[in-house]
Order: sequence, then structure tokens, then C-alpha cells
Amino acid sequence: MMSPALAAVWGEGVSPESELVRMRRGNPEAFEELLSRYQHRLYRFLVRIVRDRAMAEDLFQQTWVRVVEKSAQFDERRNFEAWLFTIARNLAVDHLRRHRPESLDEPPPGDPAGEPRSALLATGGPSALDRVLQRERSEQIAEALERLPLIYRETLTLRFEEEMKLEEIAKVADVPLSTAKTRLRRGLVWMRQILEKNYAREAQP
Amino acid sequence: MNEHDAIRELLPLAAAGALDEREQRRVDEHLAACTVCAGELERWWALEQSLRRLPTPQAPALLVERTRMRIRAELLERAERTVNPWLMGFLVMFSWTLALATWPVLRWLGGGSSSGQFLGTDFGLDRSWLAFAGYTLAGWVVGGVAALAMAVRHVATRRTT
Repeated sequence: MMSPALAAVWGEGVSPESELVRMRRGNPEAFEELLSRYQHRLYRFLVRIVRDRAMAEDLFQQTWVRVVEKSAQFDERRNFEAWLFTIARNLAVDHLRRHRPESLDEPPPGDPAGEPRSALLATGGPSALDRVLQRERSEQIAEALERLPLIYRETLTLRFEEEMKLEEIAKVADVPLSTAKTRLRRGLVWMRQILEKNYAREAQP
Repeated sequence: MNEHDAIRELLPLAAAGALDEREQRRVDEHLAACTVCAGELERWWALEQSLRRLPTPQAPALLVERTRMRIRAELLERAERTVNPWLMGFLVMFSWTLALATWPVLRWLGGGSSSGQFLGTDFGLDRSWLAFAGYTLAGWVVGGVAALAMAVRHVATRRTT
């Protein structure tokens, strides 16, 4: 079912799912619609995941080729966006596994986000985060996001940039709902710590 | 862990709207009486808003155009693959029909027996049947060579695009 906002963008009755079905029947205009709609979002997601624009460009093309190849298997009752981002995510993870396996390492035991209680209570304090956010610079926020391990990076970008629900995030990352929820919380805690540490470093004389 | 600490752990998810109903109720009840946690929730919310406001890296126009071309070619090729089996089946049937139909016509034109007599002959390997087989085989060899030449040309065209 399409949301009113989506309907306003796509027109009544034209969903990405139906565009994919039209594309499956060989209609190139349907593909153009899907590409125009998702080009920047898909590229952004890939940039966030692989942290390398050249690699993201390569994966961007591969994702669309895979969409065409797999379009016959797409179930129209599924959500196209979740399906698209699942394809992109799997390609990106495979690529990283082959070329930069160290970037897929799980967070080491004892990392800040692995100890949520102490981390939450022992952060730099509310005032530090307040000051960071008051003088918010998007490049600092983006840099902090980039420094997170992959599992947290993908969760945060899917939640806050793609506005996906936890259930959809769990499907894209192929993890249980509870894991997606844990990753969301730990990712946020970790990110806050990075921002506060950066602030403390800069504030030192 | 006391209730206050337990709620603080839930605050990042509360700000992200990712709590279930029971957890949300618990947080709401605590926030009504705890200004410290209410302030903390505001901070998480501000952090999440800053994530939402991050500039979107734009897909380069050249990349989008390259992708568009590549997918158009892919869709064309897929359409070709879908149509080709039917087209080839039709052409095979058509060529066989022609091959069968031309033999009696040729015999009739050459002053031989009529088509009715031809169809009434036995199926022994006499001279007329050998000629028929040779004629058909020649047609298929010519057709096969033509198909091969077209396939080679098709592959060469794909490599250059």
C-alpha cells in the first residue's frame, strides 16, 4: 500500500512495485522511473556502506543490473525499497568481503557500544553533546557516522536517512528484529561518544 | 539497575520511535516525573535530527546515464531472448513446410508425376527419395551457415557497444 506522500510523488496507483512489474515486461520507461526515483538514495546508501565513492559507483550499476536480472523473482506484495536496498547491501558486503575483509570485522569485545550501561552513564555528559549539536557541522556528523562499524552504519542510515521501520531494517540486514533494535541503540550510543570525544579533543588547549 | 538507568538505556530508541508499546508507556510514565531523562531524550532527538539532515551525496550524472544505457541494452537483450525461441520455432516450421511443399511442385513442373502420385509412393530409398533428402539437407546447411553468420555478427556488435 502506498503512503499519501509517495502517491503524491508517483501519482495515484503508480507504485514502485507496479513500475518494476512494467519493467519486467520489457518497458524501459518503467526502469527510467525507478532510476530517477532512487538514484540519489541508492547512491547515498552505498557511499555510507563502502565509504568510497568509486566503489559505490561500481556497486550502483551492479545493483541495477541485478534488479533487472532478479525482477522475475520479485513478489509484488513485497516492498520494493526494502528489496532494492537488500540487493545493494548484499552486493556491497560481498564486495567488501573480497576486497576489504577487515572492514567487516565485528566490533571488538569491550567497545563502547558493547557496554551500553556504562557507556550511557559515563559519556561526556549532557553539556558536551549539547555543545556539539549547537554548533552542528554536518561534515563532523558524517565523519562520526563513517567511523562506525558497518553493522551500525547501515542501521543508522537505513533508519534516519531512508526512514525505514525496524522490521524493514531487519529484512535488509537479514537479522532478527531484536538484533536490529540492539544495533540501532548501540550505533547511536557509539556515535554520541565519537562526537563527544572529538569535541573534548578540540576543546583541549 | 534501577528504573532510572533502565529508562536511560531506552531513550535513544524512544527518540528514534523504535520502542514497542509497552516500552513506550514505561518511558512516558518515567518522563512525566523525571526532568533529567526528559532533557536526555531531547539530546538524543537532536542527535537523530542531525543524522536526518545530513546532505545526500548526489549520484553523478554520468554514472546515471551510463547505468541507463546499460540497463536499456540489458532490457533489449532480454526482450530479444524472449521473442527468439518463438520466432525460431516459427521459422523452422515454415522452412519444413516449404521444403515439403516445393518437392512435388518441382516434380510437377519438371514433367514428373503429380503431387498426388508423389504422396502415394512407397517409402523405399529410391532415386526420388535420395534427391528429396539431398535437397532438404542442402537447404538446412545453407540455413545453418546463414544463422551462424548472423550469430557471429550479433556477438561482434555486442562487443563493440
